[in-house]
Amino acid sequence: MINSKFTAQVTPGIQLLSDDQKGGIHSATLEVLRRTGVDVLVPGVRDMLQKAGCWVDGGRVRIPPNLIEWAIRAAPSRVVLCNQDGNPAMELEGRKGYYGTGSDTPFVIDAYTGQRRKAVLEDVANVAKLVDALEHIDFLMCMGIASDVTESISDLYHFREMVHNTSKPIIYTAWDRANLEAIVEMAEAVAGGPEALQRSPFMALYSEPISPLSHAKESCEKLLFLAEKGLPVVYTPGMMIGATAPVTIAGALVQANAEALSGLLITQLAREGTPVIGAGGILFMDMAKGAISYAAPEFMLAMTAFSEMYHYYKLPIFSFSGCSDAKVFDQQASAEGAIWMMLTALGGGNLIHDVGYIESGLTASYQQIVAMNEVAALVKRFMGGIEINDENIALEAIDRVGPGGNFVGDEHTFQHFRRNWVPELFDRSSREEWEVNGELTLGDNAAKKVRQVFENHQAKPVDESVSEALEAVIQKAEERNK
Amino acid sequence: MSDILSKLSTAIIEGDFASTPEMAETALEEGLGPDEILNKGLMPGMDHVGVEFKAGNMFVPEVLRSARSMQAAMDIIRPLLAETGIEPAGKIVIGTVKGDLHDIGKNLVGMMCEGAGFEIIDLGKDIEPDAFVEAVKEHSPKILGMSALLTTTMRAMEQTIRALEETGIRDSVKIMIGGAPVTQAFSDQIGADGYAANAASASDIAKKFTP
Ligand code: B12
Repeated sequence: MINSKFTAQVTPGIQLLSDDQKGGIHSATLEVLRRTGVDVLVPGVRDMLQKAGCWVDGGRVRIPPNLIEWAIRAAPSRVVLCNQDGNPAMELEGRKGYYGTGSDTPFVIDAYTGQRRKAVLEDVANVAKLVDALEHIDFLMCMGIASDVTESISDLYHFREMVHNTSKPIIYTAWDRANLEAIVEMAEAVAGGPEALQRSPFMALYSEPISPLSHAKESCEKLLFLAEKGLPVVYTPGMMIGATAPVTIAGALVQANAEALSGLLITQLAREGTPVIGAGGILFMDMAKGAISYAAPEFMLAMTAFSEMYHYYKLPIFSFSGCSDAKVFDQQASAEGAIWMMLTALGGGNLIHDVGYIESGLTASYQQIVAMNEVAALVKRFMGGIEINDENIALEAIDRVGPGGNFVGDEHTFQHFRRNWVPELFDRSSREEWEVNGELTLGDNAAKKVRQVFENHQAKPVDESVSEALEAVIQKAEERNK
Repeated sequence: MSDILSKLSTAIIEGDFASTPEMAETALEEGLGPDEILNKGLMPGMDHVGVEFKAGNMFVPEVLRSARSMQAAMDIIRPLLAETGIEPAGKIVIGTVKGDLHDIGKNLVGMMCEGAGFEIIDLGKDIEPDAFVEAVKEHSPKILGMSALLTTTMRAMEQTIRALEETGIRDSVKIMIGGAPVTQAFSDQIGADGYAANAASASDIAKKFTP
């Protein structure tokens, strides 16, 4: 967790927008929703919006400003996600940040061969173990899409493996409403019933509108079901600057905000207080390659500004980190990933996902996850800021040691040195030592750690009865899909 | 080369879609044949654009304008081409398959193929196998292109090919497929005729299909 509010004089942060500019983005967003509106592709949801005062014209819904402002106030400003035992694990609010993996990549880099291959169910189990073992990765998304199970219900299998292999909070995806219902049934079995799950949820759904400005059938159905259940949902645009959004960052930001806030309105009308984590993805289209980028500076700017808007609204923020366009875990993957890690912390994102994505979301790298865990540790130290008080200003020590002395053996050093960060994988040894130890790179060290976790880590096992309940839901779904 | 033809090429490279129709008309008035205008004016321009795009010197929005400029001129000469019995590159029916709402990749492929002289019939996204079949019947395209980005929707490509077989029109079109998770192996497995990893190679295989 990145939480420096209580210990530092100043929480490190960056600012892109002035208050006036935030007001400007907000007004423009309301204007898009009033003038252009959004497509809502489920009649029942349109009716609900119309009753609340929206203007409906075919599939198009135009929204008066007051409704959006009501939804911003109605939605909870904090969402707490628990671990599977029901103990609080993440408080999504303010500038508290938590890192987690991404979901649904068709490919992974094999931890033993280093080759890119299709993801299988064992990868989901393995990434869950990895997240369970890593200190600075706080939540889990399934990472790969299992290609070795019934395709139409792979999401159910992912969920089962995640539950079995970590007790950290899970952000899951669901192909459609029927599968979502099945997953929630599984989650209720884990938590001990619907009410226990609602009170202390250990999971949230990841879902998306379809940019530009469309709330598709599946999107709406998922929102309605979770609102009914009072369970948390991440609803975040996955737009591409220049392709499904204006090419200017300000324009993309306004459109993304319009998509996110109109989705928020749907959830709050369906059930006031539905926990929603918003903001989200304003990805970038590279116009030279016609390819999508997960690490463009334009994406970073847009994401940082989007977080600022959500701070302004006091709503929980979904964000990005540790992801890259590189094809393998290499220098580019490290550089792009690390810049993101620091940036999202400084920008104050809450639920920060996609750690370990490479090849712009098509491949997952275990090494990248482990390397970013190391970066997260560094970032947390930085985010602790500088505590300025008499003891830390160290006038006594400076005077004691005086000109020409040294601090290494001083009592003040002994008292305080443990506050400073000690890397686990980043190498600070002498050249000789490094040579003797086999000239290992970060990639080597990360790969070693990945294999160590796969082979040795054991997550807390789930009860036999829960395990059976999960199995039963999957069997039912298999029948349904025959 | 005639002055007007090189002007047409340049206008296409520069994406000057307001001028290309008039230039095509001027060329016709000067007595040039529609085939000559196509092959010596329009295509050299677009070929240049293709090369520059691959080299990273031209960008998607520029290529798009060039393709649009080409099509604007094509609108003038297409009827005359048909009259003289010369077949232009032909039609491509393209769409994103059932259950899939990702359409940017498909749009780029359509745009690049349009630039290569094809006429694009874009069915949109979330297209049922039967709708593809109907469109093939209606438009008699030379090529059918299908896009899928989801593991769960890739199957719909196979279903579409089966549906074409059942209707007995499978062999009337070449089928090319693509989308981020699609591979050559998958293409072979479902019996498509070709796969391309990006828009530029998509237009290359489209050209290969229509010699
Ligand atoms: C943008 C995006 C979206 C947008 C799409 C908006 C739109 N209007 O298109 C939105 C937000 C709506 C979206 C939704 C979802 N998405 Co999405 N999305 C992406 C993303 C980030 C980029 C896709 C893109 O447009 N790329 C840019 C274009 C230019 O590239 P391209 O599509 O690959 O096309 C090129 C080639 O593939 C080829 N090509 C493409 N089509 C064709 C056709 C032919 C005939 C040929 C020859 C070539 C060809 O040429 C193109 C040009 O060079 C990808 C990640 C990625 N890196 O691909 C995920 C991704 C594809 N999405 C994914 C998922 C899981 C989803 C959702 C299910 C998420 C959810 N849980 O709700 C939904 C599904 C919605 C639905 N029913 O379709 C997964 C897919 C995993 C899988 N294999 O199943 C990916 C890989 C991300 C991830 N790891 O999670 N998504």
